[in-house]
Amino acid sequence: MESRYDRAITVFSPDGHLFQVEYAQEAVKKGSTAVGIRGTDIVVLGVEKKSVAKLQDERTVRKICALDDHVCMAFAGLTADARVVINRARVECQSYKLTVEDPVTVEYITRFIATLKQKYTQSNGRRPFGISALIVGFDDDGIPRLYQTDPSGTYHAWKANAIGRSAKTVREFLEKNYTEDAIANDNEAIKLAIRALLEIVQSGGKNIELAIIRRNQPLKMFSAKEIESQVTAIEKEKEETEKKKSKKTA
Amino acid sequence: MAATFFGEVVKAPCRAGTEDEEEDDEGRKETPEDREVRRQLARKREVRLLRRQTKTSLEVSLLEKYPCSKFIIAIGNNAVAFLSSFVTSSGVWEEVGCAKLWNEWCRTTDTAHLSPTEAFCVFYHLKSNPSVLLCQCSCYVAEDQQYQWLEKVFGSCPRKNLQITVLTCRHVTDYKTSESTSSLHPPFLKALKTQNFKEPPCCSLLEQPNIVHDLPAAVLSYCQVWKIPAILYLCYTDVMKLDLITVEAFKPVLSSRSLKGLVKNIPQSTEVLKKLVTTNEIQSNIYT
Repeated sequence: MESRYDRAITVFSPDGHLFQVEYAQEAVKKGSTAVGIRGTDIVVLGVEKKSVAKLQDERTVRKICALDDHVCMAFAGLTADARVVINRARVECQSYKLTVEDPVTVEYITRFIATLKQKYTQSNGRRPFGISALIVGFDDDGIPRLYQTDPSGTYHAWKANAIGRSAKTVREFLEKNYTEDAIANDNEAIKLAIRALLEIVQSGGKNIELAIIRRNQPLKMFSAKEIESQVTAIEKEKEETEKKKSKKTA
Repeated sequence: MAATFFGEVVKAPCRAGTEDEEEDDEGRKETPEDREVRRQLARKREVRLLRRQTKTSLEVSLLEKYPCSKFIIAIGNNAVAFLSSFVTSSGVWEEVGCAKLWNEWCRTTDTAHLSPTEAFCVFYHLKSNPSVLLCQCSCYVAEDQQYQWLEKVFGSCPRKNLQITVLTCRHVTDYKTSESTSSLHPPFLKALKTQNFKEPPCCSLLEQPNIVHDLPAAVLSYCQVWKIPAILYLCYTDVMKLDLITVEAFKPVLSSRSLKGLVKNIPQSTEVLKKLVTTNEIQSNIYT
């Protein structure tokens, strides 16, 4: 007889599922898309801006947050859960710096967030965090990093990845287009992120937010104008490749 | 005193009025102010059936003006979403009228200028086959307004060769059963039909002592009295707001005779439904 208790709390079902964790992954899919790309000298985070209500202050609806000067993350899923996780991570970054006198490595803070998430899948009376996060940054050794965590508490390093609503479409686009040429220089990596988002975003550049970290430089958020100019450049390139194609066939 | 189905004894309210109450002339007499207030309230709560896109009222009942052989009524947001994505998106439907009404459940206080987006009791007929009529009713029709609604829509003497299908939702906590609630898996569909409805329903029938409420009950009672074949498909769900899984629970109804010819492309309809549900969710701040 099918018992429903394993759907309300995080205990195993008879066939080995943790339903609450799986449902938490569904909650992630309700958030708008975020994409992360690891270039050679740059890491890029792009997000699909959520439509804000008329009277809402746009600045308070942010999907990209800095965890420290050299690490930042984008999330998809439950807003309140993300706030809690980000706060804990930020405190941990400073605590680590004060204790060890070195800034955290990207892997360390990712592991911290992932461990926190896993704890909530094994506690009684608690539900898992309903967010996935893309964490990017540079370590002291100057190597760019991109990690992804999910509600189950797993984390992996990626060259490029997407989370949220249309993550599957964006990931397929990245699998096709993430080449050595595509990340040859910083600008190309930025363009790749924007192109990936344009696949799924309605009405173009004004619904995209972008952040980059370059080696030894702090987080830079792109302004709407800068994004627009990138989008125009991409559209121009597209037109030119289309023209070349039609010339070839003709 | 009355005994309920489960054996409790409760004091039943008596609508006949107690006979030993002395008529108190002073208290019972209606003043002109009372009459005026009552008149104003009645005017405010009047159900008006309007011709499409104009402010003129229909002089006759809807079914007299637009006689039909199939009438499908969706009451409640989930039922309306089901018809919007599976039926109205699969053909060309023309709006033939709308019912405007106000009651305490309405979010607007202006009774004279209810906008089309709020009125939400809209009637359509299929352009290619005008004998198929559809009603999308998203507003709550109060008890005192149900009779008016029925009169304005069905008229006082309805045609006989008419078949009615009603779709609506109810919260699963209203469902009474002797089995354990852990055996219930909402959303699930139950049917209730009038005596003249001869076709087999698309799901199991609603068991006693469950009852139907509000406008669906009014429609079914009317159909039973006038011997019109009618069936109500009631979806018991645990999510009362617009929800994808609840709407999809109505899918078995697509195989019924009333709806069979009306749905062309089910995968496309599912996409339309997904879009409908997600546009509603964007307003929320829960997910970023």
